[in-house]
Amino acid sequence: MAHGHAVKRYSGLMDWLTTVDHKKIGILYLIAGGFFFLVGGLEAILIRIQLWKPLNDFVSADTYNELLTMHGTTMIFLAAMPVIFALMNAIVPLQIGARDVAYPFVNAIGFWTFFFGAVLLNVSWFTGAAPDGGWTAYAPLSSTTFNGDHGFDYYVLGLQIAGIGTLVGGINFLVTIINMRAPGMTFMRMPMFTWSVFITSALILFAFPALTVGLAALMFDRVFDANFFDPSGGGNAVLWEHIFWIFGHPEVYILILPAFGVISEVVSTFSRKRLFGYSSMVFATILIGFLGFMVWAHHMFTTGLGPVANGLFSIATMLIAVPTGIKIFNWLFTLWGGSIKFTTANLFAVGFIPTFVMGGVTGVMLAAAPADFQYHDSYFVVAHFHYVIVGGLVLGLFSGLHYWWPKMFGRVLNEGLGKLTFWTFFIGFHLTFFVQHFLGLMGMPRRIWTYLDGLGFNEMNLISTIGALLMGLGTIFFLLNIVVTAFKPKNAANDPWEDGRTLEWTISSPAPEYNFKQTPLVRGYDAYWKEKMDGHTEMTPAEPLGSIHMPSPSILPLFMSIGLFITGLGLMYSHGEWGKIAGIEAGYVVGGIGLIITFTCMIIRSLVDDHGFHIEPEELQDKGVKA
Amino acid sequence: MSAHSHDGHLPHEPEKATLEGRNKILGFWLFLGAETVLFGTLFSAFLALRDQVLDGPTSQELFQLPLVALATGLLLTSSLTSVFATQALHMHKVKAMIWWLLVTVLLGLGFLGLEIYEFYHYVHEGHGFTTSAFSSSFYTLVGFHGAHVAFGIVWISLLIGQLAKKGLTVTTAPKAYVAGIYWHFIDVVWVFIFTVVYLMGKVG
Amino acid sequence: MASNHSTEEQRPVRHKVEGPKKHIIAFIFSILLTLIAFAAVAGGEINTDFIYIILIGCAILQVFVQMAFWMHMKDRGHTFAIIGILFGVMVVATCVIMAEYWAWW
Repeated sequence: MAHGHAVKRYSGLMDWLTTVDHKKIGILYLIAGGFFFLVGGLEAILIRIQLWKPLNDFVSADTYNELLTMHGTTMIFLAAMPVIFALMNAIVPLQIGARDVAYPFVNAIGFWTFFFGAVLLNVSWFTGAAPDGGWTAYAPLSSTTFNGDHGFDYYVLGLQIAGIGTLVGGINFLVTIINMRAPGMTFMRMPMFTWSVFITSALILFAFPALTVGLAALMFDRVFDANFFDPSGGGNAVLWEHIFWIFGHPEVYILILPAFGVISEVVSTFSRKRLFGYSSMVFATILIGFLGFMVWAHHMFTTGLGPVANGLFSIATMLIAVPTGIKIFNWLFTLWGGSIKFTTANLFAVGFIPTFVMGGVTGVMLAAAPADFQYHDSYFVVAHFHYVIVGGLVLGLFSGLHYWWPKMFGRVLNEGLGKLTFWTFFIGFHLTFFVQHFLGLMGMPRRIWTYLDGLGFNEMNLISTIGALLMGLGTIFFLLNIVVTAFKPKNAANDPWEDGRTLEWTISSPAPEYNFKQTPLVRGYDAYWKEKMDGHTEMTPAEPLGSIHMPSPSILPLFMSIGLFITGLGLMYSHGEWGKIAGIEAGYVVGGIGLIITFTCMIIRSLVDDHGFHIEPEELQDKGVKA
Repeated sequence: MSAHSHDGHLPHEPEKATLEGRNKILGFWLFLGAETVLFGTLFSAFLALRDQVLDGPTSQELFQLPLVALATGLLLTSSLTSVFATQALHMHKVKAMIWWLLVTVLLGLGFLGLEIYEFYHYVHEGHGFTTSAFSSSFYTLVGFHGAHVAFGIVWISLLIGQLAKKGLTVTTAPKAYVAGIYWHFIDVVWVFIFTVVYLMGKVG
Repeated sequence: MASNHSTEEQRPVRHKVEGPKKHIIAFIFSILLTLIAFAAVAGGEINTDFIYIILIGCAILQVFVQMAFWMHMKDRGHTFAIIGILFGVMVVATCVIMAEYWAWW
């Protein structure tokens, strides 16, 4: 734009509510995701306390069902996804040398819809009807016939709203990575974390619409008496399982791929070596993403699909072990002969590798359809998916958070406390879940409230509960670390690990709001490392110093999401609970008001052009070294 | 942003002149990839449930081909008029663009009117939303498409207002281009709806 | 945002505006394919499987024409648009196979 516009800039709370800065949105995602991680963790601890001895009655059977459903749903959708989005937002634009994401405004919408969807889902605790049919919401357990209260209404509408946020977030990162890379940053020079985020975003793009349809159909069944999954109306309960897993299997790769990316970065940095087999890593990531859509029915081997389908999905599932194996060996070869520094981040990364291999091996065991008939719905499955999700994703996220904390907050986390976090969490994790393999093989079914004495389950359940408490302790150490670090001076160097290889380490910690004063020129893979090897201390700029255009902050994303929240709440209570207004169900009236709020915000956004504002070169000089 | 704006001279293909414009177009295409999966899942739910009619009328008894043919003609023509609008955009003719978009909106309204009449008629034939799994999946699939048409009509109408007020700029051009792509996509989905739902339903 | 990012869509363009002719041809083609499909059903008395093949063939052909010409997918700079749609179609194909073979037994 040729002319500047005076733009209102907020401070304090309003700054956070209106921000469109991807780094701040990343922090918001981290706070919200971290909060729900604690909530889900608390639910897990309660589950383990209930199971520590046979015939325990610490919680009632109904509460137990609610706890296990909400634990799974919360951890997958409200904790893991947002923390992944936190790292994506905080790091990806910096890694590709971009000043911003492609759609800063949409990015804010993504966060707020996630947040209000998550809140809506958890409101169910306070209205006395949390969903209680498992995180997979299998019909007919989730139908009004067997679940007459509002529990699954909260599930369906909460996840639908949160899903919108995830989908637009995925599109945002795809476009950012395709269109906004710095000059010279070709696809095959992109850091591995950016690659994994690229593929994850593509999986979000193609998997979430299936969930949208599934949730909409289940909502129609529950709210408008449709017959999709209701056999008495001609519906098909297995159809829900298909649709759920057509989304659900890609979803677990959406979760794990970013962890793969984090591990690749951390292992390479702290071995002071180029990532071994970079191109094969890229290829393996793409292949895992592709195959992720071809294996959903391995969750349904025991529904009776028949030998042909079971055989096909069995083989397709085992195929995934090949690209995953490539990755494991590449990490090992990266470590091989490197000058390894065991920082906390690297400890988590190195701990990740064998743990994830164990989860992968049980995955191949489960992929064998005939054997799966034995493992199905037993604690063996619980052990398997906790090994890949906690032992894989959560260790990866801890690694990434310790690694990039200085870039996000300008302070390096305390290494002593970090190592304490690692060891308590790591040992606690294996104590909790390793024994569960054997519990499963001995026949303990999953999703049971309690078990009888004398089945041989007692000791291992006790060990498992002790492990869970240790994991809780590890999390407390991490929180303690955050608090302790927050009181230290904000003095992290640009490249606090001194071995940074990628572009985010060339700018101050935390990054200034415009990220790069001058867009860097990328001359090879591991752009910063290449400059270091050539004896330079910083990147060559690709442009002269000029004024930088920035998007304006906006409150609209918040209000759009509040509108959706109101709509969701209204739709649930549209069966006479709230009475009638002018002959129409009050629930529908409230729902309509919510939609009007959302659409009004959309129209305002469309009609009022956002000219943004400029940061002039003189200001850049002043701010040049601001930490 | 590049130096094209505000000097009265529009670049060739103004929708792609700015990074924002290029981002918008690319992102919208990817969104259409997601829409493909959305409609594909709705189609597969319909395909799985189309024979579950219970006591309600079957698709052979229900569907009237002349009505569907008329609706198809309207939507197909509106797709042509919206591509004419995009052409007018490339020739920087705002007036022609507004005119073609207006025709598109009117044809879309005609299509929507036919669909509402059709649904009303079906309900009176005993084919309500809750009648059977077939009826639920039918109304959901065709209704999702109808909702997309309705959304498109509102969107393009607002766009006509913006074009009339602000003219063709590097800001309005990408919006109009993307709306055109959206409208074509709706037409493409309809091709599969009239083939899979109506024609194949009529064959049985 | 700064104008510092180059993509393949930014190469110099030939400044020639396309005429309406090919769009009208695409329109006539679409109408013809639609007519064939409706006629195949209205005509009755042909083998059902054969009608299905005609119907699906016409639909795919028509969609291909519309996407290539009206949605400009044949033009330069649509690499990711094509990848996006094709991958979506692939996922849809698995969904349809599921609905036809693995929903009831």
